[in-house]
Amino acid sequence: MKFIISLAFKNLTRYKRRTLITAGAIAVGIMMFIMIDSMLAGAEFESVRNLKWYETASVRIYNDGYWENRHQLPLDINVPDAEGITAKLEDAGYTASPRTVFSGDMILNADDFGEDGNIPVTVTAIDPQLDFDIFHFGDTLAAGRFLERGEEAALLGSWLAEDIGAKVGYWITIITRGNGGFYESMDLEVVGIVNCPNPNVNRGLVMMPFDTAGDYLAMDGAATEINIKLSDSADVEAAASDIQKLFNGSGLTALDWKYMAADYLALAEAKRGGTGIILFLIFIIAAVGISNTMLMAIFERIRELGMMRSLGMSDGKIRAAFVVEAAGIGLIGSFIGVILGILVNLFVVNIGFDVGFILRDMDIGYRIQSVMRGVWNVDTIGLAFIAGTVISTIVAFFPTGKALKMDIPACLRHQ
Amino acid sequence: MIKIDNVVKNYANGETEVKALRGVSLNIDRGEFTSIAGPSGSGKTTLLNLIGCIDKLDQGEITIKSETVSSMNKNEKTKFRRKNLGFVFQTYNLIPVLSAYENVAFVLSLLDLSEDEVRERTMTILKEVGLAGMENRKPSKLSGGQQQRVAIARALVKNPEIVLADEPTANLDSGTGEEILKLMREMNEKHGTTFIFSTHDPMVMDYAGRVVMLHDGQIKSDERK
Ligand SMILES: Nc1ncnc2c1ncn2[C@@H]1O[C@H](COP(=O)(O)OP(=O)(O)O)[C@@H](O)[C@H]1O
Ligand SMILES: [Mg+2]
Repeated sequence: MKFIISLAFKNLTRYKRRTLITAGAIAVGIMMFIMIDSMLAGAEFESVRNLKWYETASVRIYNDGYWENRHQLPLDINVPDAEGITAKLEDAGYTASPRTVFSGDMILNADDFGEDGNIPVTVTAIDPQLDFDIFHFGDTLAAGRFLERGEEAALLGSWLAEDIGAKVGYWITIITRGNGGFYESMDLEVVGIVNCPNPNVNRGLVMMPFDTAGDYLAMDGAATEINIKLSDSADVEAAASDIQKLFNGSGLTALDWKYMAADYLALAEAKRGGTGIILFLIFIIAAVGISNTMLMAIFERIRELGMMRSLGMSDGKIRAAFVVEAAGIGLIGSFIGVILGILVNLFVVNIGFDVGFILRDMDIGYRIQSVMRGVWNVDTIGLAFIAGTVISTIVAFFPTGKALKMDIPACLRHQ
Repeated sequence: MIKIDNVVKNYANGETEVKALRGVSLNIDRGEFTSIAGPSGSGKTTLLNLIGCIDKLDQGEITIKSETVSSMNKNEKTKFRRKNLGFVFQTYNLIPVLSAYENVAFVLSLLDLSEDEVRERTMTILKEVGLAGMENRKPSKLSGGQQQRVAIARALVKNPEIVLADEPTANLDSGTGEEILKLMREMNEKHGTTFIFSTHDPMVMDYAGRVVMLHDGQIKSDERK
C-alpha cells in the first residue's frame, strides 16, 4: 500500500499540467459551491430577519376570525381594548404593541404632486412610542422624522415615495371606510420617509399614528392586531401557545411568524431544492472533468498497466493505485477550492453584491432590498472539501474498470 | 516442466478468423534457454502469452510445474504469474516516474517480504545485471540497453521459475542486443531460471540452447544444440 501511494503521488507530478487543470476545475466548482451556498443562506437569513423585523414580529394576536378574512383587512374583526391587552402582555413579561391595518385610497393633490392622482394603499397605524420596540424602523429613516402620537401625519416607504414623487412636507389624503362602514377622509402630512430593507414593505408602506387612526375610524380602543417580540433564539411556537393560554376564552388567537409566513417559507424551501440542483450540476461537471482526466491518464499508461498486470499485480491493487491518484487530485483541488471559497466569501460576507436594481421592480421572493450578503457556514465548507475529494475518488473507479476489462495482451500491444 | 499440448488459438478479426496457433505441442525442461523463432506473424507472441498465462487458448492444454494453467480462472492466473513468472518486454515497460531501484522493488512489493529483504534482493540483482551505482536513475536517464537490464532485473528479482521475453532485443542495436542476450544466458546459468524468448533475428538464435521455429502457427523445427 505504501508503494501504491508513493507511485500515485509520483504519477501526479508526472502530468503536472493536467493535474493542475483538473484540480483547478474541482477548485472552481468548490469555490462556486461555497459562494452560492453562502449567498443563498445569507439571503434566507436576512429575509427571515427582515420578515420578522418589518412584517410579522415574532407572535401576533388577532381576533379569532381575522386570519381567514385577512385579505379584506376588516376593521370590525378586531382586538378590543388594545391598551388593556398590551398591558396584560407586559405584565406577563412580553414586549407588545398594537397596530391597526386598513386599506384605502391615497389621493395625491396637484398642489404638491404636480398633478392629481390616486392609488390604493394599505395603511399601517402604529403607536410611535411602542412600535419601535417590536419592529425595527428605528434606523431606517431616510428623510424627515418619525411620527408622534396624536398627530395627523404619515410616514412613507422610500420606494413608494419615489414612485409617487412624494417629499417630506407634502400632504396626502386617505379615503377609507371606518369601523362600521362609513366613509372617512384623512389629510396627513408626510413627515418622514423610511428606507425599509424589506422590499415588500418599502414598496407600499404608509404609516400613521395609531391613536389618530383610531379616532378617525371609530375603533373605540381596538386594534386589528397586537404584535409581540421575542428573542431570536426563542421557540416561537411554544411562546405562541403560552400567550394563547393568557387569552383563552376571550376570542383571540396568538399566531407565530412561521405560521403567518408559511407561504414565504414554502417558497424558500422550494428554492432550496432548486439551488440544490445547481450545486449538484457543479459537482457533476467536476466529476466529469476528473473522470476524463483519469481516463486519459490511464490510457496513456496502458502498457505500464499491462506490465503490472503481467507481473501479477491484482486488479484490486491497480484500481487502488488509480483511485489514490484521483483522490490526490481531488484533495489538491478541494484544498485550493476551499481556500478560494474562503477568500471569495470574505468579499461576499463583508461587502456583498448590490442587487437593488433587480429587486426594485421585481419580487424574487427574498425579503432583501439591495445588498445580497453571504454568511459563513463551516459545515458547507467542510462538506465541499469532503465531497470534492470523495467524488474524485469514486469517479476514478469507472475509467479504471474500463482499462481492467481489456485483456493483458491488448494492454501490452497498445501504442 | 512446461507441457504444451496441442494448443490452438484463433483470433476473431472482424468477420474472418485468424488461426494464430494451429495445434502446437512442446515440452520445455527446467533451466532451458529456449528461443521461439519465426517470421513476423508466425505466432511467437501468441505462444509466449499463453505460456505466460496472460491469454486464453481455444483448444489444448498447458501445464507448468504440474499445474494446468490453461484451465485456471483469472485470479488463479494472476497469483500464479506473481509467484512463478517473470516478463521482459520489447519496449522495456519501465515506470518512468520510478528509479531503477523502485522499478525492480515494485515486483517485491507485491509479495510479502520485509523491507530489509526487498532492499537486499533488489541491490543484489541490480549489481548482477551490471547497474551498480545507477539505482537512483530514472529510466529517462538510462540508455536502451540499461533500461532492458533494469527490466531483466525486475523479471529475476523474485526468483521466478520462468522468464518470458518477447523480442527483448528488437529495440536495441545489435551490439547492445548481444550484451542483453549474454546477460540473460548468464542469469540462466547462474540461477537455473528457465528462459523462453522470441525473436526473428538469426543472430539471437545463435545464443539459444534450443531453437523452436514457428511458421504459420505450427512448429516447423525444434533443435537443441
Ligand atoms: N488480438 C489479435 N486480433 C487479431 N489477430 C491477431 C491478434 N493478435 C495476433 N493476431 C494475429 O495472429 C497471428 C500471430 O500473431 P503473433 O502471435 O503476434 O505473431 P508474432 O509474434 O510471431 O509476430 C498474426 O497473423 C496476427 O495478425
Ligand atoms: Mg510478436
